[in-house]
Amino acid sequence: MITVEDLWKTFPADRERRKEQPPGRNTGEVTAVAGISFTCQPGRIFTLLGPNGAGKTTTLRMVATLLKPTRGTISVAGFDVARQPREVRRSIGFLTGSTKLYERLTADETVKYYADLHGMEHAQFVRRRDELFSLLGIDEFANRRIGKLSSGMRQKVSIARTMIHDPAVVVFDEPTVGLDVITARHIIDLIRSCKAAGKTVIFSTHIMGEVSLLSDDLAVISNGKLCYNGTYNDFRASMKGNSLEEAFIHLVEEAGR
Amino acid sequence: MNTTLVIFKKELKDTLRDRRTLVSMVAIPLILFPTLIGIAASVMRSQMQKAQEKVLRVAVQTSGNAAGFVALLETQTRIQVVQNISADSARAMVANDSLDAFIAFAPDFDRQVAAMHPGSVTFSYKATERQEIEKRRLDALLAAYQEALRVERFKKLGIDPSVNRTMRIDEQNLASAREQIAEVLGGFLPYLFIIFCYIGSLYPAIDLAAGEKERGTLETLLTSPASRMEILVGKFGVVVLTGIATAGVALIGMYIGILQVKEIPPELLKTILGILQVRPILLLLSLLLPLTIFFAAGLLSLSIFARSYKEAQTMITPSMIVIIVPVFIGLMPGMALTPGTALIPILNVSLATKAIIAGNITPFLLAEVYASLIVLAGLALFVCAKVFGREGTIFRGT
Repeated sequence: MITVEDLWKTFPADRERRKEQPPGRNTGEVTAVAGISFTCQPGRIFTLLGPNGAGKTTTLRMVATLLKPTRGTISVAGFDVARQPREVRRSIGFLTGSTKLYERLTADETVKYYADLHGMEHAQFVRRRDELFSLLGIDEFANRRIGKLSSGMRQKVSIARTMIHDPAVVVFDEPTVGLDVITARHIIDLIRSCKAAGKTVIFSTHIMGEVSLLSDDLAVISNGKLCYNGTYNDFRASMKGNSLEEAFIHLVEEAGR
Repeated sequence: MNTTLVIFKKELKDTLRDRRTLVSMVAIPLILFPTLIGIAASVMRSQMQKAQEKVLRVAVQTSGNAAGFVALLETQTRIQVVQNISADSARAMVANDSLDAFIAFAPDFDRQVAAMHPGSVTFSYKATERQEIEKRRLDALLAAYQEALRVERFKKLGIDPSVNRTMRIDEQNLASAREQIAEVLGGFLPYLFIIFCYIGSLYPAIDLAAGEKERGTLETLLTSPASRMEILVGKFGVVVLTGIATAGVALIGMYIGILQVKEIPPELLKTILGILQVRPILLLLSLLLPLTIFFAAGLLSLSIFARSYKEAQTMITPSMIVIIVPVFIGLMPGMALTPGTALIPILNVSLATKAIIAGNITPFLLAEVYASLIVLAGLALFVCAKVFGREGTIFRGT
C-alpha cells in the first residue's frame, strides 16, 4: 500500500524560470508538487494521469525515495520514505519507459546484479530468474550482452530486473513512452499480472487508452495539484457523455483557471 | 554479499569490458609505450650515426697560410674540402645548408703565429641539435691543429711543451650512479606515474558517473536498496583501482621499453634495473594511492555533475593542465623536495619520486608528503560525497 499525505516538492528555480517570475513574486523556487494526497491499495491499479510537466514524475520519484519531499509524508508498504528509505527501496520495483540497461552486461548478469543488491540468496535468485525468463521468453538470450539485444528484448530484461525481488509495490513512470506496440503490450500485461498477484501498482501516464485499459483508481494531476482523486468508474460516471480525453482536458483547464 | 562489494564487482566487470578503458589502461602503456621508447632510441641512434658518418663539405680559406691544417684535413676521409670560393658565398652556403662549415684563416695568420701571437681563425657553422655533432668533429680538428702549433712553438723556444700546465685537475663525481640517473629517470618517472594514473582514472570516472547518468541506468540503481554512499564507494573503488593499475602497467611498459633499447651501456642498464626494485616501487605506489584517491574523487565529482558523457569530457579535459604543470615544475633544475615543496600536491609526488629513486628521501619529508596527499584526498572525497548526495546534481538536466 502507498499512502501520500499533503505532499509538496519545490526546486530552486533556474535562471530562465527566475526571469519568468513576476517581480515581487520571485521566490527563487518552483513548486512541482503542491499538497497532494492519495492512497494506492494492494491488488488495485492506481493511475496518475496528467499532462507533461504536471508533477507525475516528481511524485513517483518521491515515492521511490529518489527525491526528498519538501513537506508531507509518504508511506510505502508500511515504511516511511524519509526515515526508512532503504526498507522502502527493498519493497518497490521501479520501471520507466526510458529505463536503460548496462550494455556490456548480459541479461543474466544484469538481473543477478539487482538480485544481489536486494540481498537475495543464490538459490532464490536462480528460481525466480528461471521463472521470469521463461515467462518473458528470454531464456535463450540470457547470456547475450544487452548491447546485442533488440529494444523489445531489452525491455523484457528491464521487466525481469524490476520484478526479480518480487516487490510488494511496483512503480511505473510512463512505462510505455517511446516503445513499439508489441513491447508496450508486454508492459500492459506486466501491470495486469502485478494486480492479479495482489501487488500495489501505481503508474503514471498521459495516454488515455492505457487509463481506460488499466485503471481501478485514478488521480488527475495538473500544475502539481490533484484535480480528481477517486475510482475510475466514478470518473467515468461523472463524464456526462464526454470522451475520456474531453473530460481530462476539461478538468485540466478548470484547474488552470 | 556486502552491497558496496556487489557494486564494485559489477562496475569493475563493466569497466574491463569497455574498449576505451582497456586502450587507456593496457594498450597505451604496455604496447605503445615500449614502441615509442624503441622508436625514439632508434631515431636517435640513426641520427647520431648519420652525423658521425656524414661526409662534411667544408670551405677553407687559407690565403696561403695554415698549410698544416690543410694537410690535416686532407688526411680525413669524411671531409670534403671545397676551395676557390669567396667568404660571402661560403657563409651564404652554410646558412642555406649547401656547406657544412667555412673556416677562414686571417691573411697574416702564419706571420702572427711566427711572431708568437695568436693567429685569427673564423669558424662559421650552423648548429642545431644534430649538427652539433658535426661541429664537434671540426672542433676536434681545429683543437688538434692548435695543439700542434703550440708544441712547435714551445720546441722553438726550447721549453718543455707541458710546462704551461699549472694544474692537473682530477675530477671525481661523488654522486653515485644511482643519484646521477635519478636526475634523468626521476624526472621521467613522475610523468609516467602521475599522468598514466590520471589517464587510467579518467575514462572509468566519466563512464561510471556521467555515462551512467546519460544512459539512464543511474535512476534505476538509486531505486535499489543500495545507499548513495555505497554506490559512490563502489564506483570510487573501481576508479582508484584502474588509476593505480594503469600506472603499474605503464611501469611494466617502461621496463620492457628500457630492456629493448640496445644502446644503453650494460653498466647503466644494471643501475637502472637496480633502481626498479621492489622497495622503491612499493614506495612510489604508496604515494600514488592517496594521489589516485584525489584524482578519482575530483574526476567523479565533475563527472556526476555533468549532464552527459560529452559534457563530462569537456569539463574534465582542461584539468589535465592542473596535473601537468606541477609535474613539469618538478623537472626544473634545482627543484628539490623540501619541507615547503613537500606540501604542494602533485609537485611533491614528482619531487619525492626523484628522491626515492636517488635513495636519499628522509622519513620526515616522506611523512609530510603523505600527510599533504591524505588531507587533499580526504577533502576531495568529502566534496565528492556532497556532490553525489545532492538531488539537484543527480537529476540535473532531467
